[in-house]
Amino acid sequence: MLDLLVIGAGLAGLSAAISAVEAGLTVKVVSMGLGTTHWSAGTIDVFGFIPGATDTIGDPIESIAQLDPSHPYRLVGPEMVEAALHTFQRWVADAGLPYVGAEEARRNLRMPSPVGALRPTLLTPTAQYMGDAAFSAPMLIVGFHGLRDFYPQLIAENLCKQGLEARAEFLPWELLSDLVDRNTIQIATGLDDPARIRRLADALRGLIRPGERLGLPAVIGLERHCGAFAELESAVGTTLFEVPTLPPSVPGTRLYHALRNRLQKAGVRIETNMRATDFDASGNRIDWVSTEGSARPLKHRARAFVLATGGILGGGFQSEPGGRISEIVFDLPLTVAQDRTQWFHPEFFDPRGQPVFRGGVAVDARLQPLISVGASPAYENLWAAGSVLAGADPILERSLEGIAVSTGIAAAHRAGSWLAG
Amino acid sequence: MFPISWESVDHSLDECIKCNICTTYCPVSAVTDLFPGPKYVGPQAQRFREAGQPVSPDISVDYCSGCRVCNDVCPTGVKIAEINARARAQIVAQKGLPLRNRMLGRNDLVAGLGSIAPNLANLALHNGFSRFMAEKVVGIARGAPLPRWNPSGTFGAWMRRTRSRRLKSQEKVVFFHGCATMHYEPFVGKAAVAVLEHNGFEVIVPPQNCCGLPLLSNGEFDAARSYHRGNVARLAGFARAGFPIVGTSTSCTLTLKEEAPELLDMVDKGSQTLRAGVWDIFEFLRDLADRGRLRTDFQRLELRLPYHAPCQQRAHRVGKPAIDILSLVPGIQIDESHARCCGIAGTYGYKAEKYAIAMAVGEELFRFVREHSEGVQFTACDSETCRWQLEHGTAVPSRHPIEVLAAAYGLYDLESRKLT
Repeated sequence: MLDLLVIGAGLAGLSAAISAVEAGLTVKVVSMGLGTTHWSAGTIDVFGFIPGATDTIGDPIESIAQLDPSHPYRLVGPEMVEAALHTFQRWVADAGLPYVGAEEARRNLRMPSPVGALRPTLLTPTAQYMGDAAFSAPMLIVGFHGLRDFYPQLIAENLCKQGLEARAEFLPWELLSDLVDRNTIQIATGLDDPARIRRLADALRGLIRPGERLGLPAVIGLERHCGAFAELESAVGTTLFEVPTLPPSVPGTRLYHALRNRLQKAGVRIETNMRATDFDASGNRIDWVSTEGSARPLKHRARAFVLATGGILGGGFQSEPGGRISEIVFDLPLTVAQDRTQWFHPEFFDPRGQPVFRGGVAVDARLQPLISVGASPAYENLWAAGSVLAGADPILERSLEGIAVSTGIAAAHRAGSWLAG
Repeated sequence: MFPISWESVDHSLDECIKCNICTTYCPVSAVTDLFPGPKYVGPQAQRFREAGQPVSPDISVDYCSGCRVCNDVCPTGVKIAEINARARAQIVAQKGLPLRNRMLGRNDLVAGLGSIAPNLANLALHNGFSRFMAEKVVGIARGAPLPRWNPSGTFGAWMRRTRSRRLKSQEKVVFFHGCATMHYEPFVGKAAVAVLEHNGFEVIVPPQNCCGLPLLSNGEFDAARSYHRGNVARLAGFARAGFPIVGTSTSCTLTLKEEAPELLDMVDKGSQTLRAGVWDIFEFLRDLADRGRLRTDFQRLELRLPYHAPCQQRAHRVGKPAIDILSLVPGIQIDESHARCCGIAGTYGYKAEKYAIAMAVGEELFRFVREHSEGVQFTACDSETCRWQLEHGTAVPSRHPIEVLAAAYGLYDLESRKLT
């Protein structure tokens, strides 16, 4: 029988699956469609803001101590968070998609967003790294006519308002593609071609002033990204960085591909289009989870299960028109108020964040879901990871990827120890 | 004309959060400007499709190949491929259909006609002049991999001829052969019968229709409805009596289970009973294996096998049972394809204006086969048109996994495609 079934193919589920298979377990991943990694900037945001405060925090790891004891970071502990980030860095480096950060200083980077805001993050793909606001070189942001959702003037103006030096330029669409309408993933695939990189470099060289660093939409190659990026940087002759775009996000997709490829090489099956609908348990041990199929449900038997279905955005919760909100696979209780009027504060940008985003599945210190807060685990062979967990507001805290990676790895460790014991 | 109903997709439409994952994975949109992508043509254009609207806003929806990769990757469960299929049917209902699409939709008739004199039919169709004329006059791509009629006769004729030798057993399954097995590849059906009998099942082959998928793909919902009704009338009784209905053509089994009832809004009891009784053959065999009922007296098969689970197989949402079962055979090393689509998508790649797109889509799969071709004699794939496209794109012969399994039982020769 399968050792571990992971439900969910986002960053938490993939991290759990990799960690488990590399510890010698047999693993399968089922998910409903692809994970929200595809929507992300590809960075690993660990901890950017303390709820209620407006200043970016300096050292994310050290600041974990200031969080509520029920926060997922407190449950796994700062040492585990840090170790998990190192493990993650090894995975992506192996895949030829290295991530860097100011780790020695454990300082948050401040990276330009697609609207030119500065986002705190701990680890970025190397291609984004030189966009950090801590570097002093003036920025040239270059966009392309016809590329939706990337406006260099907007980015540059906003960066200037925050005290950085930045200006904008446009280049013609034809440098990106011969076809009329392409999304960023398709453009990135086209830029895997070295000839196209050379043409792009020729056009860019004419725009750059001495001493400038060059910011481009994050489309520089998909499968051959690192090679394409290095070729472009050397041909342009100046420091280069990518600015993430709106979804579909190329850096998020590259990250998904890197982790997916690692799993597939290890023989792990990732089955998408699987909507988990039911389960069965003998006593407090889960026997199987079933997914919806064309004629009959498909039962997935395993000795242990990791729930990594995501939060409101990822689809781990469902709310019915009548008001009931619940967890989709095991119908675990959520810490979200059932009364919808308590989900939101009146102000959209309330510095405390919105209460509904803090809700989720309550777990014990081993990340095992609880029937109610303070009670014993609901099932002896179930762990939870990522945005499904209660006690964090990943949007406000800028902690989504850090929680996903660290709890994903921690959940796999704990499931592994239980299986071994 | 029966009005196209949107009932089952309307709610699904509201689930779309415009994240574009579908468009980034769409294999067709990746290679052509003619199809802007599932999000635009599906949930987005759907907002502009109104009942009674005099002119359809659609042109590009016809370039959707129906591969369903969009459904596969959608994180919120939007029925994108179904929206597109319905939109195409609405256009057909309004504007009618070219002769070519009527022909492609009625493969059962064309195939049946050829089977009267298979050698003559092959001679008449498979020559440069005929294919040139078929492209010029009808619009069927001259390079596309059209099948050949089997000169030794149909699957049905073989079943009748061997009736006295067929296994009789208390345990019975119904075999759904589909048009391709009936007329072009009877050996696939023979291999299936051999495997099922080897596992102690009596195989019943009752009269049956084409499943109607080619009609659904070409937007002829009315005709597809009468085909499906025919299958319900002929087969639902077996399902009700508890006989599993097993098929080797993964797109036919998907149509009987889901495509036909879903797209045609057939919620009648017969359709539901039939749906619940249908199995894709490896789904059925894996179920046997899970219950300890599959025989594992395999011979060693030294075979490196690149395997592609076709789109229609993945749409069953049963995992990849062919891999699960073939992995039990000693000696077989399976290389699993993660290519999105072979490109042909049923009848899509046969259309002159779409042939180049289909080949460009298939390149991902052809490249996978080329990269895994060392010491490879065959590829494997569960769908007939995909196998033909695979052979066309790679020049490596392709087999249904059931042929491989029959060979593993020592019942079948993979090279000559004959029972031993």
